[in-house]
Amino acid sequence: MPELVASSEDTRIYEICVLYPYPMNQKEEQTLLKEIDELFAEAGATLVLKDAWGRRGLAYPVNGATEGTFVVYYYEMDPSKLKEVDLALRIMKGVLRHMVVKPPKHYQVVKFSEAYELWLKERETMEEQKVRQKEEKVQEQVARKAKRQAKAAAERKKSTPAEQPGGVDLTQKIDELISDDSLTNL
Amino acid sequence: MAFQKQKQQQRRTDPRLKQCPFCEHGAKYIDYKDYPAMKPYIDYFGNIRKRYYTGVCLKHQKMLKTAIERARFMAMIAYRK
Repeated sequence: MPELVASSEDTRIYEICVLYPYPMNQKEEQTLLKEIDELFAEAGATLVLKDAWGRRGLAYPVNGATEGTFVVYYYEMDPSKLKEVDLALRIMKGVLRHMVVKPPKHYQVVKFSEAYELWLKERETMEEQKVRQKEEKVQEQVARKAKRQAKAAAERKKSTPAEQPGGVDLTQKIDELISDDSLTNL
Repeated sequence: MAFQKQKQQQRRTDPRLKQCPFCEHGAKYIDYKDYPAMKPYIDYFGNIRKRYYTGVCLKHQKMLKTAIERARFMAMIAYRK
């Protein structure tokens, strides 16, 4: 990720974002881009970086256009000439929106495509995390259920052996009784 | 005593104790082009969420405001849904 540093004290780096409508003739598009380049060349600006975002849907229709193309330029230029450039961009035909921003110190430029890939990866990891948490929950539940079942089984076992001796005694007594009966009978 | 203890446990956590999510990452600037960073601070209608609910500190809320307003102007985020 490149960091932007102005080469001299008189010049500053500016971030210029331009939006123009998407369904546009190729000729018109090229002429528009050329015009922008010429405009900055006239102002004595040097191109540091150019990031073409490409076609993108707009959040709300601008001048009847629902889709547009974004281009982000990083130009190093004289601050005194910024006003002219801004005005020219405002007047320029075909430009829906434009914005000039001074990026802060130590600003790390991330191209849109790279940022998008990063975001995709992060999203994947987030989804994986969610899936993992779900699985852990299910496993916990299973473990709890197993514990409960084991406990219940143990209780049942405890209660049954307590009964068994009584049962044995009963059978023995019955046997004795029977034997007594048989003795008396005899 | 037992009743009091129960009441204390039932109480929600104090919203003032929330940590600013931008401070945790040490963010010095919020980019208006970074939609996923701003998304959790915009509600369904496109309004900026209050600081009280998100726990963002004042410094970063101001940055967020400028970033969202810039993105709105560039038609990346809707003004109103």
